Amino acid sequence: MVIGLDCAEPSLAFDRFAGVMPNLRRLRKRGVWGPLRSTIPPITVPAWTCMVSGSDPGELGIYGFRNRKSYATYEMDFATSKSVRVPRLWDILGDAGRTSTVLFVPQTYPAAASLKGSMVTCFLTPGPESEWARPPELKATLEAAFGPYIVDVPDFRTDDKQRLLQSVYAMSRQHFAMARHMLSREDWDFFMMVDMGTDRLHHGFWKYFNPDHRQYVPGNPLEHAGREYYAYLDREIGTLLEYADPDTAVVVVSDHGARTMQGGICVNEWLLQHGYLALRTVPDRPTPFKKLEIDWSKTKAWGEGGYYARVFLNVQGRDPQGIIPPDQVDTECRALQAMLEAIPDENGKPIGTVAYRPADIYPVVHGTPPDLIVLFGNLAWRSVGSVGHGRVHTFENDTGPDDANHAWDGILVAAGPGIPAHGRLEGAEVRDVARTVLQLLDVPPPATMGGRSILDRVAGDAAGGRRDPET
Amino acid sequence: MPADKVTLKIPRPLYDNLKQSIQGTGFSSVNEFVVYVLRDLTSGLKPKGRPSRATRPVPAALDARDARDSSGLTQAEIEIIRKRLHDLGYI
Repeated sequence: MVIGLDCAEPSLAFDRFAGVMPNLRRLRKRGVWGPLRSTIPPITVPAWTCMVSGSDPGELGIYGFRNRKSYATYEMDFATSKSVRVPRLWDILGDAGRTSTVLFVPQTYPAAASLKGSMVTCFLTPGPESEWARPPELKATLEAAFGPYIVDVPDFRTDDKQRLLQSVYAMSRQHFAMARHMLSREDWDFFMMVDMGTDRLHHGFWKYFNPDHRQYVPGNPLEHAGREYYAYLDREIGTLLEYADPDTAVVVVSDHGARTMQGGICVNEWLLQHGYLALRTVPDRPTPFKKLEIDWSKTKAWGEGGYYARVFLNVQGRDPQGIIPPDQVDTECRALQAMLEAIPDENGKPIGTVAYRPADIYPVVHGTPPDLIVLFGNLAWRSVGSVGHGRVHTFENDTGPDDANHAWDGILVAAGPGIPAHGRLEGAEVRDVARTVLQLLDVPPPATMGGRSILDRVAGDAAGGRRDPET
Repeated sequence: MPADKVTLKIPRPLYDNLKQSIQGTGFSSVNEFVVYVLRDLTSGLKPKGRPSRATRPVPAALDARDARDSSGLTQAEIEIIRKRLHDLGYI
């Protein structure tokens, strides 16, 4: 049984809010726990797919929610389940004759008809009218029991925070209720669900319960929103554990963590100011990148907004109107990498930006990767893609305030048969989860599967004499 | 002074279909969704005189409204997901 909590933060689940999470504490005491290092980039898509396939983003050729279909176009496509070319746990288990129940796992829409078991697709499902269930008749059953499927939190950008908080709870309650329904009625060898409420809570409410946020106000009415949600999550986890018999191993994971967002770096504004991006008309108000009149004949680089930036060079013979000669790409890319890493904060202080070249970090690079993956302030700052702010630093993103960015480490807690009461483990990675599940189910992994089983890491850890107490 | 809004007519089945499609997506009405999609579709277009009906181009996205691309999504679904991910801060 894998319980996913998108964006669950180790410093909260293991320390600050551990006191209100007795079920998670008990699991930690019985098994192994620690930080779970995310992918580069540490973002929902592709991180969950890496977790359930053992692949890294380079192998997947998926570098974010949207990816260029090819260098022949500047347009981007969404990465849906159809973008995933490698087998995921439920595919491998299905081939081995095992049955899976898969609920709300990112990048599962549209659901594959070949699934052996049951599925409710993820928050990238267009809407409740979509075909979000496998087998198809499951949709009517769940609707009859729980009403229309709440795909995600509606109207996320709102100042009505009380209503937003209610919406987060409404979504999570429905999803956990569906999970219990499926656990009680379905035969499964592998069960996995992912709650997105944790992520929505962090992005929408982080400043209310984290004193290091510049807008934190002591004693504000939402000061306990974080603690209360983590306590609520723990109660939900407790209800799922009732369906885990003594033969069932339980794994609780998140795809990345969360941290305070200091602000946004307007990547295209910066590229414009430094002569990399050319516009026919410079807007006098924030304008989305896709609505800009770009002069590609003079543009050397452009970037995407989001929790991190992806920067593409405009290369002759590769991009539709490329201008950088192929023999100068390496020089240009390294120069731009150094300049982006040197962008300071609004007061001129270094922020520690890291910019990666895909070929430097992935053993293989499939698909149409960006030339640079840029994490501003090592994730303390987000990337803002729009132009017209008139400055590089902003304290609102394109659509309004945002409280939190992602952090490198998610959580790992595993307990049950075959998992020793090891205590804290360092060094586990998101893509280790796939091998771990297969090992627990005694199903051989595909020869190409990456990662390392948590059980092997624990064995190596114990052999090396490292072992820490539960808390 | 002319009104700042006009009424457009669309087929009832399409309206009903869109009404279903936007439930739970963050769009509060079919009107809001249609305005969003049309703005997005026409943002890069510039008037070039009025072509005859026979030669008037049909925007590819409208023509392919119900067609699914390689991601398995229709154009309307792509717009819904784009707005959701933008609101969530992912893109």
